[in-house]
Amino acid sequence: MKNSKGWFWIFVGPVLLAFVIVVIVPMITGIYYSFTDWNGIGNDANWVGLKNYTKIFTEDKDFLNAFLFTAKFALVSLITINVIGFGLALLMTKDFKLTNFFRSIFFMPNMIGGLILGFVWQFIFTKGFDSLGKLLNWSFLRGWLADPTTGFWGLVILMSWQMSGYMMVIYIAAIENIPESSLEAAKIDGANAWQRLRYIIMPLVAPAFTVGLFLTLSNSFKLYDQNLSLTAGGPHNSTQMLAMNIYNTAFKFNKLGLAQAKAVIFLITVAVITLTQIYYSKRREVEM
Amino acid sequence: MFKSKKVLTLAIVMVLALSLVVTGCSNDAKDEKANSGNEGATTEKSGEKAEIDIFQFKVEIAKELEEAAKAYEEENPNVKINIQTVGGGDDYGAALKAAFQSGNEPDIFNVGGPQDIKDWMDKLEDLSDQPWVDKALEGVLSGATVDDKVYALPFNLEGYGFVYNKEIFKAAGIDAEKIVDFKSLEEAVKTLDKKIKDGELEEEFPLLESVFEFPAKETWITGLHTSNVALGQEFDSSIDAFNAEEVEFKYGDSLKKIIDLQADYSMHRDDKQKLNAVDYTTQAEEGIAIERVAIIQQGNWVYGLAEGVDEEVAEKLDILPIPLEGGKEDSIPVGVPMHWVVNKDSDDAVKDAAKDFLNWLYTSEKGKEYVVNEFHFIPPLTGYEDLEVEDPLGRAVSRYAEAGKTTPWVFMGYPTAWGMEGLGNNIQKYLSGEFTWEQVISESQAQWKEMR
Repeated sequence: MKNSKGWFWIFVGPVLLAFVIVVIVPMITGIYYSFTDWNGIGNDANWVGLKNYTKIFTEDKDFLNAFLFTAKFALVSLITINVIGFGLALLMTKDFKLTNFFRSIFFMPNMIGGLILGFVWQFIFTKGFDSLGKLLNWSFLRGWLADPTTGFWGLVILMSWQMSGYMMVIYIAAIENIPESSLEAAKIDGANAWQRLRYIIMPLVAPAFTVGLFLTLSNSFKLYDQNLSLTAGGPHNSTQMLAMNIYNTAFKFNKLGLAQAKAVIFLITVAVITLTQIYYSKRREVEM
Repeated sequence: MFKSKKVLTLAIVMVLALSLVVTGCSNDAKDEKANSGNEGATTEKSGEKAEIDIFQFKVEIAKELEEAAKAYEEENPNVKINIQTVGGGDDYGAALKAAFQSGNEPDIFNVGGPQDIKDWMDKLEDLSDQPWVDKALEGVLSGATVDDKVYALPFNLEGYGFVYNKEIFKAAGIDAEKIVDFKSLEEAVKTLDKKIKDGELEEEFPLLESVFEFPAKETWITGLHTSNVALGQEFDSSIDAFNAEEVEFKYGDSLKKIIDLQADYSMHRDDKQKLNAVDYTTQAEEGIAIERVAIIQQGNWVYGLAEGVDEEVAEKLDILPIPLEGGKEDSIPVGVPMHWVVNKDSDDAVKDAAKDFLNWLYTSEKGKEYVVNEFHFIPPLTGYEDLEVEDPLGRAVSRYAEAGKTTPWVFMGYPTAWGMEGLGNNIQKYLSGEFTWEQVISESQAQWKEMR
């Protein structure tokens, strides 16, 4: 390893270059634009200092609403996705015949693009639920997505359905990595199923929880396509999430500068939240 | 063993790195080719070769436009036309901005109303000297004119009103000719509603369940079109609206009546909040086209949708006026939805070819045939006397236009996104009971002021 430095750059160089060009440079120009009043079309971006940022915090009610809605959604879907995913993983690691078949079935939704899923579920919620409600005379099944509450739960159901299978795969891998001997030892010591789950499986799966929670949290925060195709933010922007609010500011209202400022705040928020989560989850992990 | 593995990894890495470099190169090569294409156009100036890039938004005519371009290419072998279509409203705007920012500027593209023209002003070629300018119908160029210079060619005329099913009206014994104001319309709706409830029309129209379908989810229908019925009489033109610092809602109460009438006689009359989930498809294809409802507030463009579902039903459709109480009650709003513009920064040869193509499309015999018979456009220019619009809704719009019973489209002049994101959302809140009508008005007025 005499010229390891040379090798280092040969390996890292190309990727680093690509990363700088497509991530770092646009990010810096983006931060620059957040201090301007650029409308996205002309070449006249005037420096306005912190005006965009103060506007977001003082005037923009919609952004705050979108923020709260997104946070609420992220929290709820974080729980549902991981509980369902972990539950499925526990089931799918039991020995029975069709496990492989079911694993692929549960993973399947994840292979479909978010936009299409949104439209499929929109059909189910507005048409399927409606017909069912008519048939059974259950009024709560009718008029889904017409008010903020059903819009919210529609999104949660959609995302849980899509993401649980993915989380399941991660948890299955983790559960199957637990050495048989520890479980057996616990069994011989008289631990019942719940105790084995709580004190053997859960701690040993903790690294997977770190990953799973991170993925669901950041995905829920950045959600756009499902949001767009399922509710498009409606009714009256009550189910509009952060990413959509930013997109609309940029492309519907033609305020790219303001949208960039929102995006910067968005980036910082997501980073802070996910890093905090990783920090705390990491502490729970145990070494074998 | 160890060594071979090392060699293998190295090989893989080199391949990856190389592929990165190679793809980079190939992109460059492509760009160069594209550039040289444009340069070719300038160097061989004398009308030799020009490549026109068209970036247009009307999905419905994508194929037909392609054919028209081919016909033009046959007549002008040295011109090549590339057409790119990106569908519908917002997506088009975003895609167009992306195209410009990436440096792949199209030579012909589309803009909507005054706000669009102002936004894109730096890029627009002055088209005042074009032959079609003199042929334009009265008023259609108002949205494309800035300081007496014409910058854009109108796509077509479109009009909307209450699209209704003639056969249902006949079966219910209603004379549509007599519906000329709000009172007579309300009367007719009540009669129809009663007959539907009593089951009198069930035999003939088994699916018929309500008079109206009101898709409040689609804020372009409520926030732009419905509101335009009132604001189109408050403002004289889209330019007038565009220059207005404030909106008064002079006919606010009449607008409320039009909205209430549609909501109160729709499927969800008992729980109007549910109208906020009703979409365009439910209104058109799953509404009027299957004879589930008798009237919808829509424009001549739904003919194609209805025809796709049931040709027979599509032929039964006609348009009633949208009566604004206290204003012009027997008219429908007619306007220009989109414009063609030429990019000022394109090479001269390309610009000339682009202008010539647009002129050919709208004034030559062959082009006119495409416009009317293939695109199903209602032409914005004169000189189409011998070409009859084929579909019943298009004919209805022409009928209103010829009789002078039209009001202008001013929603193009609303502040950016005010109609859909502002007023449209406020109407949703009104339907869900969160807002009273007074709040809708005051909130929308405040939003207008703020967005100006």
